[in-house]
Parts: sequence; C-alpha cells; structure tokens
Amino acid sequence: MAEKITFTINGKLTTVEVDPEMLVIDVIRDVLNLTGTKRGCDNSVCGTCTIVVNGKATKSCNMAVKKIAGADVLTVEGLAKGTELHPIQKAISESGAIQCGFCTPGIVMELYGLLEEKPDAAQNEIENALNKHLCRCTGYEPIRDGALMAQELIKKRK
Amino acid sequence: MKFKYLGKSYNRPDAISKVTGKAIYLDDIRIPGMLHAAILRPEYAHAEIVSIDTTEAEKMPGVVKVVTGKGCHYHYGDNIKDLVPMAVEKVRYIGEPVAAVIADTLAQAEAALEKIKVEYKPLPVYIDARDAMKPDAVVIHKENGEYWHLPTLKPTPGTNIAHTYHLKKGNGVDGFKDAEVIVEAEFNYPLGSCAAIEPHGSIVWFKEDKTIEVWSSSICPFIIREDLAHSYGMPVSDVRVRIPDIGGCFGYKSDITVEQTVAWIASFVPGHPVKWVASRKEDFTSTLIAHGIRSRMKIGARKDGRLVAIQNEVLHTGGAYADTAVNITIAATHNSAGPYEFEHCDLTGYTVYTNTPPVGAYRGYGHQEAQIATERMMDLLARKLNMDPIQLREMNYLVEGKVNALGERMWKTHGDLMTCSNMVKEKVFSKPKPLEDENYYYGRGFAAAMKSPKGAPFSTKGCYMKMNIDGSISVSMGGAEVGQGLRTVIQQVAAEALKIAPERIRVYTEIDTQYSPYEWQTIGSMFTTQGGRAIVRAAEKLIAVLKNTAAQVLKTDVDYLEYDGDYIYLRNDPDIRVAVADLSRGYITSDGITIGEYAHAVSDARLPRYANPDENGQGSLGVNYTFGATAAEIRIEKKTGKIIVDKFTSVFDVGQIINPKQIRGSVMGGVTMAVGAALYEKLDFGEDGRINNPQLFKYHIPTYKESIPMDIDFLETPDAVGPFGARGVGEHSVIGPAPAIMNAIQDAVGIDFFEIPITPDVMKKALEARQEKK
Repeated sequence: MAEKITFTINGKLTTVEVDPEMLVIDVIRDVLNLTGTKRGCDNSVCGTCTIVVNGKATKSCNMAVKKIAGADVLTVEGLAKGTELHPIQKAISESGAIQCGFCTPGIVMELYGLLEEKPDAAQNEIENALNKHLCRCTGYEPIRDGALMAQELIKKRK
Repeated sequence: MKFKYLGKSYNRPDAISKVTGKAIYLDDIRIPGMLHAAILRPEYAHAEIVSIDTTEAEKMPGVVKVVTGKGCHYHYGDNIKDLVPMAVEKVRYIGEPVAAVIADTLAQAEAALEKIKVEYKPLPVYIDARDAMKPDAVVIHKENGEYWHLPTLKPTPGTNIAHTYHLKKGNGVDGFKDAEVIVEAEFNYPLGSCAAIEPHGSIVWFKEDKTIEVWSSSICPFIIREDLAHSYGMPVSDVRVRIPDIGGCFGYKSDITVEQTVAWIASFVPGHPVKWVASRKEDFTSTLIAHGIRSRMKIGARKDGRLVAIQNEVLHTGGAYADTAVNITIAATHNSAGPYEFEHCDLTGYTVYTNTPPVGAYRGYGHQEAQIATERMMDLLARKLNMDPIQLREMNYLVEGKVNALGERMWKTHGDLMTCSNMVKEKVFSKPKPLEDENYYYGRGFAAAMKSPKGAPFSTKGCYMKMNIDGSISVSMGGAEVGQGLRTVIQQVAAEALKIAPERIRVYTEIDTQYSPYEWQTIGSMFTTQGGRAIVRAAEKLIAVLKNTAAQVLKTDVDYLEYDGDYIYLRNDPDIRVAVADLSRGYITSDGITIGEYAHAVSDARLPRYANPDENGQGSLGVNYTFGATAAEIRIEKKTGKIIVDKFTSVFDVGQIINPKQIRGSVMGGVTMAVGAALYEKLDFGEDGRINNPQLFKYHIPTYKESIPMDIDFLETPDAVGPFGARGVGEHSVIGPAPAIMNAIQDAVGIDFFEIPITPDVMKKALEARQEKK
C-alpha cells in the first residue's frame, strides 16, 4: 500500500506517495527523476548508487524509502550551485578520474560524505571510502589523485 | 614535429556533465508512454522447448503483452545469420531469451514473468570447444552451414564447427624440418566478462508511422540500423538509432547484442516505446561474454635462437551463436605468432558452437588470448636454449623489414619495438631483484605485445564539420564515446588540423543515425587512427572551401593563399587578408551579394588497402600495428599464495601522444583489467551450463585496494596512417599482463602456469605440489 513519505532532497522538502518498501534508488530515479544516481549492480557491491543521507554516504539500492522519512538527502544533482562546481566535482573532473563516468556520481557522493564531515581525513580513510566503489576504466590512480586534490580544495575553502 | 594543440592534457569536454550527474545514459532516458520489459531465461543451457504456457502471466496486473519466440521466422547476424531474437524451438545457452512480459512498470513485468510455465526436454550440454568438437557431439545448430554467412567464413555442416580459419606462411608445418629445438604446450584463456559498470540496455519503439526508433548502449548504431531494417523488411532510412552516453564498453557493447531481442518484444506493442535494461546477472548471462580460447602451440627454432616455424591450433569456445566469435577466432589465430618473425607458419583457428553465452569482443580482441601462449612460449624456449628470454625475443622481433604471419612487411612507421623493449629492460631488469624473504618469493617477467585493428572492407569512419558565423567549429562523427576519451581526441586533432583553439571546437555528444556521419563501429583501437584521419581530411576540405571563397574576395588564385585559422591572406603580403569568420557562410559583399559556399565539409577514412584473406589466410588484414613491451614485478605471499604485483611497466610506441593524461589513463585501465583476468576473473560454468558467479560480488573485478603501481612510458615514431603520426593504443595494454605475470611466477618459484586466473588457491596448491615433489 502506498504511503506518504516526506524528506528533504537537495534542500527541497519533498513528499512522495509510494510503497514504503520501495528502494530509495527507485524513488530517486523513477519517482523524482533524479537520474544522476546510477544502478550498476543489484546487490550493493559497485557503489554507483551512493547518496548522502544525513551527512553520511549511503548506498541507495538496498534501503527502503521508509528509512529516509524525515531525513536530509543529497544526490549528485544537489552539489553544484549553477555552473559553480563543488570542490570534489572540480577535482574529480580535472584529475583524469572520469572515463565512462558511470561510477563517478557514486564516488563524488562517497567523498562528499567523508570530506565534508572530516576535511582532514587520513589517506587510509580516503582509501577505505574509495574501496567501496568499482571502476572498470581508470585503474583507480586518477581517482585517488582527484580525492586528494578535492581534500586540498576543501581545506583551503574552510 | 612541434604541435600547438597535441601532446597537451586538455580536460575532457564531457567531464562536467558526468561529474554533475547530468550525462544521460540509456537507463536515464524517459519517453512518454514508455513500457517496460522483463525477459524469462531458461532452466537448461541446452534443451528443446516442448511448450510455453503464458495464460497466468497475461492475467497479472499491469501486463500489456506476453511475448514468446513463436512465429519468429528470421535469423540475424553480421557475419553469420545464426541468431534469433528469442528462442523458438530450442534453447542453446542459459541466458537465452525464452519469453518476455511487457508491463506498465518493471516490477509488474518481473512479477508476471514468474507465472510463465515452460516445459523443456533437456539435451547434452557442451561448455568447452574441446568437447563440442568431438565427432559424437550432439549438433547445437542443425542448420550450421545453411545460415547466410560472409563468403570468407567456412562452417562445417553436421558438426559444431562454425568456422575454420587456416593460415599458411612459407612451408607451413613442413618448416619444422629446419628447426633444431622444438617446444610445445597448451594454454587456456577462459571465458570472462567485460563487466562494464553500466549494464546493457535498449529502448525500441515501433512507431505508428511504421518507422522504428531505437536507443541503445551500443557502439554500433549503424549496424543495428541495417540489421533491424533487414529483419523487418524496411528501408534502412526508416530505422533511426540513437546512442546516449555509454558507461563503459570494453568490447561487449559492439556488434548486435540485445537490440534485436528488445525489438522483437516491442514489435508486439506498436506505438509504445519499450525499455529493457539488463540486471547485473543478465549482463553476465545474456549479453556477449569474452575469451574462451585454448591454444595448442608448437614453436621451432635454431640453436642460436632464430625462430623458424610456429604451429598453433586455436580452439575457440564460441558460444551458442557464433556470429560475433568468428572474427575473434581469426584475429587470435593470425596474431598468435605475436610480435615475432617466423619463416614458416601453420595456424588454424576453430570457432566452435557451445552451450555458453555467445562470445563477443573484449578489449584486445583475440590478441591477449593468443599472445598469452606466444609470450609464455618465448620463455619456455629461452630456457630450453639456455638463453636470456629478452635476448631471444630481440633476435626475432618484427622490426622494420621483417614480415609477419599475414605476409605484411613491417615499416619504420609501424613503430620501434626494439627501443620499447630496451626501455623496459632498463627500467625493470637492470637492477637485481629482491631476494626471497620470510614471507615472500619475488619474481620478474617480461612480455612483448602487438596489436592491429580488426578491420572490414566497409570499416570507415565519417566526419562532418561546419564552421559557425563566428569561426567556431561544430564537429559531428559516428564514433561512440565509451569513456576512452574520443571527444577529447576529436577536439585536439580538429584544433591542430584547423589551427583553431580547442575551446572553439564543440564535439557532438550523442550519435543519431539520422544526422551523424556513417561509422562502421567504434572498435579495434581505431578511432584515433581512422577517425583522426577523417578529421584531418574533412579539415583540409573545409580549408579548401574557405580558400575558394577567399580567392574571389581577394581576387587571386587559390594556391596563392595561406590559412592560419584566423585569416586567409596573400602569401607575399599577409596584410591583404580576409577573416575566416567572414567566410563561414560564404562571403557577404557590401551590397549583400554573397559569393562562395557555406563552410562545411564531410569526409571519411578507412584502413588503407585493408583486404580479405587470400587462399593461404594471408593478406593485408592488419594494416596498422602498435607495438610495445611490458614487465611485471611481483611478490608471492608464501602463507596464502596471493600474488601481489608491486609494479607493472608498459612502454608503447604510439606514434604521437595526443593527450598525455588520457593516454596514461587508458593504459592504466587496460593493465588493471588484464591483471584482473590474470589473477581473479573467470566465468565459472557448471557442467550443466549454468554460470555460478554472475554477480559482481562473485565475479571479482579489481578494486581500489588492488590497483597497482605502474610505470608507463611512450615512444613517438610517427605512424603513416593516423593523424599527425598518432596510432591507436586503446586495447594494447591488456596483452602483456597475464603472460608477464606468469613469466614472473616462473622466475619467482620455478612453476610454469598455462592457464589463468592464478588465484591464491591455485598458487597455494601449486606451491604445495612443488614442496611434495622436492
């Protein structure tokens, strides 16, 4: 049975009327048409569906929408302000971390969850975060470079 | 030569749309009235279909139509028309489409799928070419030989052999008479998956006006268009195929994969676009898979190390439909001589029907599968000759003046393998390797690499460019951006050719067969070479148009004019000039009378003098080559058998670097994929033809923490075909890692491997067996 569920997404208070067991990824992509969040596998392995819930990077493909009632949700579409990219987006877009780009939104959101909370995260914390994401294109080195660049930009910003 | 815009790391033009989540991939497309399909897969990998009962499924909520293969009378395919969009009388592999449900939502379609009842009569299952080739094997296609096929293909009716390719150079197998030393071994590169992070998908819409519109995560829109038009008996111009951004390809989104099946399903609900996107499981079981190549190789040499003869038998587990596997068999067979000159070659490749998903392209296209054997054999031969393995290779490299198995002479413009090899030798082997310690064995291994494109007589790439009113340029091509970075290549090559800054050149973002110039398909590391050549040719035409108009404006001869990107001017007096932007729409004179043409141009480029094989299987099939050398420095953990690659070194002669950041990224990605194949990846088939690991948590692709330190270097010996001397390198990096790692294992612990992946378990068992022997 459909229920009304209210949460904030990318700064906007939103109510959806859906089956409360519906997966968050399906609500985001198919109800709210925010297609930046990607589906790469069906069992929380690849990390492409990562969003930020209450400040924490979270996989959206194994979570029922009822769990985000009242939450503050951020998807990749919520990061840039107009044409001004978030520092993580700027770094990742310039470090060579993007080839096909399918894993990119998930990685950006993962880094957002980590670095906005902890700008001075240790390299091993960054590596543990990136290890939750699969990339088939780059060999990961440019993603690490982008993450470290992003950290520098965020530190300077503060 | 010094270039203004080449050799610089410009950012990708698609980086911003991808990092903001705004790039549109197939599953992101929404069309009003769109329905969703789910596809039923069989319970057996080889069985006759006795009956299908769809009654219950049709009654389920939201269901619009239930579709089976009943009534489907056509076959399709680009090389052999052996494919059907949905199983008709029998199923031949575990991922084959048996029936489909079209519903308002995907969840409804999936729920109804469970209500379809199918009765099967199981048949014997073959998961390996060796078994399917046996004389008493049950025939998977009784129509083998009757299907339409390219005239160059040779099926054997009444067997499971879909194609036999044979190459003879010199005296063929008789050449072994001149050999003083012979080594023989058998190798296996097992079935795997490209496993791009974006699963395959398509949308097909049979429109009320009797045209077809298709969107697909494919790199061959023009093949899809021609193939659908043929199947549905309509003009090619009435089928329109569009390609959005693609989330990785690595081969398996080339050729026709899922589009015909989705079209068959959609044909039952004309007027409605129907979307189907593979689940991750279906991406493993029901799209093209990779490799599946066994090599039985024999090499003969003189005592001084000169190679004399090679014999190789390639047994290719081609899968249930051989349309896409046949060309990989051919490439694997004629490239199995590797980057070495043999006076005599006897190379035979068999594409064999099996009850596994059809094999299609995978980055490297037969080269790594064959050269895993060649590069291991060089080390085996060196040991037998008591020679240094790199020295043995150096004596036999396909350098300038040498002739490869196909009979093609190597020119200086094919690149400098010897220098690549020397660079790797210096980087890796000039210092002693670490000594065995309490926890690890250490080893180093070398592998050279060679790859040509895989052409076809019609394998051209088109380029359309137009100059805008302000002198900026719009470029449109049919090349698919799968992540490899061709948009950047186009921007930089066009900038160089037109002498206009890359910032003033806008590259297309989607392909649409209605508007895009023709391209065969974006495969074989050919885009830089062929596509780049097409850009240069179009640019030359565009400049000629501008000069023709300028000659009228400046009242002189065309050949008295110079062009610098901003102006066209008199050769002897640059002050007498006209701005290029003023020529873009023709030149508008002061009274409004306009002279000259609109400044646009179209051109294309194919592999020059590409030819079909002759009666000896030889010919100009490669045309363009990129050579390189690689080495692995590894550690083997004694306790676990885990292999750690401490460093992987790659040096390729790429002719001309276009974008340093991108070319390094391409090689890093390729090495990582191939290390995955060498150490982790293999589709695990049960005897019943089921795939036991069709999920990313079971089919292990390299993770962040398994990424390896790399030393990547390039040589720039200009190429004769590609733009400004550049040649392709998209696939070449995948060839060296497996044999280099295997050679390094031998160096570390004296154990010879002939098959990958070498997982910790496999390594540990081999170490234990060695211990027992001692």
